[in-house]
This record gives sequence, C-alpha cells and structure tokens, in this order.
Amino acid sequence: MKLKRRHNLSFEEADALIEKYYDGLTSGEEEKHLHEFLAQRGLPERYKAEQAIFGYFERKKHKPALNMKPVLNWASGIAAMLVIAAGLHFYTTANTKSNYAYVNGVKITKLSEVKSKALMSLNEVSATNNEVEQCFQNMTANDVVQQQLDIFATSEK
Amino acid sequence: MKRTKQFLVLLILCCLGVSVGVSAQDNLQIRKVFEKYGDRKGVTMVELSDEALEGYDFSLFKSITINNDSQAADFIRACLAQDESGAKKVKQVVSNGIPTSIFLQLPPKHQLFRLILFNETFKPEQKTTLIYIESKKDSEDVLKLILKKK
Repeated sequence: MKLKRRHNLSFEEADALIEKYYDGLTSGEEEKHLHEFLAQRGLPERYKAEQAIFGYFERKKHKPALNMKPVLNWASGIAAMLVIAAGLHFYTTANTKSNYAYVNGVKITKLSEVKSKALMSLNEVSATNNEVEQCFQNMTANDVVQQQLDIFATSEK
Repeated sequence: MKRTKQFLVLLILCCLGVSVGVSAQDNLQIRKVFEKYGDRKGVTMVELSDEALEGYDFSLFKSITINNDSQAADFIRACLAQDESGAKKVKQVVSNGIPTSIFLQLPPKHQLFRLILFNETFKPEQKTTLIYIESKKDSEDVLKLILKKK
C-alpha cells in the first residue's frame, strides 16, 4: 500500500525526528511536522507508541469543542416542522371553523338562517324530551298504584 | 442519507402532533351520519363553530334532521351503539323495543365537554334528529340549559 504522506516526510526522516524528539532537541516546527506525520492513517506498527503519545498530547492541548453542527441541524429541522405544523393546524382549523347549513342539499351560509335551523333542531330534541317528562309528571303515584291493582283485578277474573 | 432520516423522523413527529390536534368528533361513528346524509334531499344539516346561539355557549354545534327515512334512523342507532362505549347515558327512551331518544354525555376531549342528542318522532311524520355538541361548559349545564329553554 502506498502511503500518502503530507509535508514529504519520509519514514527515515520521521524516525530521525522521533529520535530527536525523545532527546528533547526538536523545534516547534519539527514537532508540528512530526505530529502531522503521525496523524496519518495506515502507518506501520512501529509508530503506534508515538501515535499514542502525540494523540494524548493532542487531546490535552485541544479540549474537545462542543460540536454544534448536529444540534443546529436538528434545531433547523424542528423549526421547519413547527412552521409546517402551524400551517397545517391553521389550515385544518380554518376548514372546520365554519357556519353553514344544508337544506335539501342546498348550502346556506347566512348566519341568521343557519342559527335558526340550529335552534329548530334543538327544539326537536327538547320538545320530545319535555313530552316524556310531562308524561312522567302527569302520572301520579296514585295512578301507578291503581294501574298495578288493575293488573291483579284482571288476573282474578 | 442521514439528513433524509432526520427529516422523516421529524415529519412523523409532526404528523403525530397534527393528528392530536384534530377535532374531538373525528373518532366518533356519528361523524359518518353527517358525511353520508348531510347533503341529501329531505335532510337539514347545520354546523356552527364558536357562535353564540341564543345564550348557548357552544364551541361546535352539529345537527342533522332527516325526514321519513327509517334506514337512516337505524344507521344512526348503530353508530350511537358504538359511540356509547365510555359515554354516560343520560337518558334513553325505548318505544316498542327501539330506542327513540338517547342523550349521551361523552368523556371530555381536548378540554371540551361533548354531548350527543338523538331523537326520533313519528307524528305527524317520521323525523330523526341527531345533535353533536362540544362546549367548554360542563355538559350537564349545557343539557340543563337546552331542556330549560324550551
């Protein structure tokens, strides 16, 4: 496998720099080159130790910054969805919040007429209910007793 | 790919949110009555939203009155039989084994009290009336008001 090397640092040069690094003789520039060399993937096994050392120092030097990109991605997505949801909600409620009546298949939108039709249907229900209640009210306790006695009277015959 | 996945997840969440926001009557069987018979001949259907109706404070009022259609009346009764589950039956009048008047107090949904009123009369002609009410007021108060008004 051909290794893609940055800054043209050959293995020999890298070995020499590593030696120099352990002796404490490397300059800042050389250490930078060495670090970039060791940051490469696919290096031979013999560089593992140095990679670990430089990797450790790298982590110590650069505190891992909070990666805001996914957060921003989600936030923008949520914001877009909220706009869509608000639009849908407005659309559905705008459609449902309406006042109309259909009489024999003909649509009526005049509010006073619609209200009058609504009241008529309410009267239909409450009128019958009152009739039923009235029936119960008219039927006094005496009537009930009399009716029950009548049943026995007819069975006696 | 990751972005598409993210979009789909949000879309599902959004749809769930919207579905929660749909009308409280949408999962009731009586909705079918309004859809099926609403614009037919011999039928009067009314829908009022957030309108003051002579002192009644309804968020939604829907009614349908069907003349001389016993099949429609049976269909309404079948729908009511399903909507009855979980509801409080305030009143039921049975004539010759057939319910002719049913008042149902449904459990509140989206902070709205719900009522279904059904009535069938035969004189002078067969007339079936179905009413669905949503109100912020307690359904018992609404019912009292309806019965008192007459």
